[in-house]
Amino acid sequence: MNAPTIQEKFASIRKGLLEFLILKIIASDKVYVADMLRRLSTTEFATQEGTLYPLLSKMRREGAVDYEWQESDAGPPRKYYKLTAKGKSQLDELTEYWAYINQTLDNVGQG
Amino acid sequence: MQKVITINLNGNALQLDEDGYDSLRAYLAEAAARLGGNPDALEIVRDLEQSIAEKCQRLLGPGKNVVTTAEIEQILREVGPVDSTAGSYHVPPAGTSTAHQPKRLYQIREGAIVSGVANGLAAYFNLDPTIVRVAWVMAAVFEMMRGDRPPVMTIGFYGLLMFVVPYAKTLEQRAAAQGAAQSLPYKLQHAVERVKAMFGGLHPRAH
Repeated sequence: MNAPTIQEKFASIRKGLLEFLILKIIASDKVYVADMLRRLSTTEFATQEGTLYPLLSKMRREGAVDYEWQESDAGPPRKYYKLTAKGKSQLDELTEYWAYINQTLDNVGQG
Repeated sequence: MQKVITINLNGNALQLDEDGYDSLRAYLAEAAARLGGNPDALEIVRDLEQSIAEKCQRLLGPGKNVVTTAEIEQILREVGPVDSTAGSYHVPPAGTSTAHQPKRLYQIREGAIVSGVANGLAAYFNLDPTIVRVAWVMAAVFEMMRGDRPPVMTIGFYGLLMFVVPYAKTLEQRAAAQGAAQSLPYKLQHAVERVKAMFGGLHPRAH
């Protein structure tokens, strides 16, 4: 068996971070699912509807995001997602913690 | 030549080749199965259906009104399999699925008479809770007759379990109390029906 690639080694980390990225995307703009997929598509976090819909429904159950239906120019109404106050504070906490982890990574092993 | 099947996908009428229809149906069945214990399963499946329908409609136009098998299969690959673990912070080891989670003993409040111990035992052993309760009452009566004293042991044992066995608080715990095969909506509905049946049976005698 081959040793796992870097991408494979980081699979579970990417998976856990996806929620963080979704919070960031929703915080920046009012978006619907296709927007989120497009923004992630060129990154290491490219994902699919099959992953995103269950994740968003979980985040909504936890009270971090909410959506509203909005008419679109072409086609049926869409669910536009936005952050709740709880989602905003979650994002702040995550951002802070992420900075802390990065700092640890930078400093560890430097005597 | 291919037979064409017309479907209603979340309110969108679509025509698919027969093989493509089979692929779509298999995908949706798999999605529903993976979302077994998810309280938002219906909504997620509707969202997926809507996404698939919109992708199909983008391919259609005045000169084309049937989605081919190759096209629908490409769309299903784009949408990707439903990941019911999205947002959980551990990746389940390969080969395990939520359908085979170990059962755990919990007290279950829904439909409980006293504290939910009998309800939890019944879920754990796949019994009707009424049978567990009847057995408990019979044990108490037996103990009273044998010992000519209050049923200290029987009630004491219940009290012990009340303290020792945790409550199924989260959705996951409630699913684990039943084994994940029985989804929560099913279980709740079942419990409600049992309680109704119980009170329905008691009322006439009370009058």
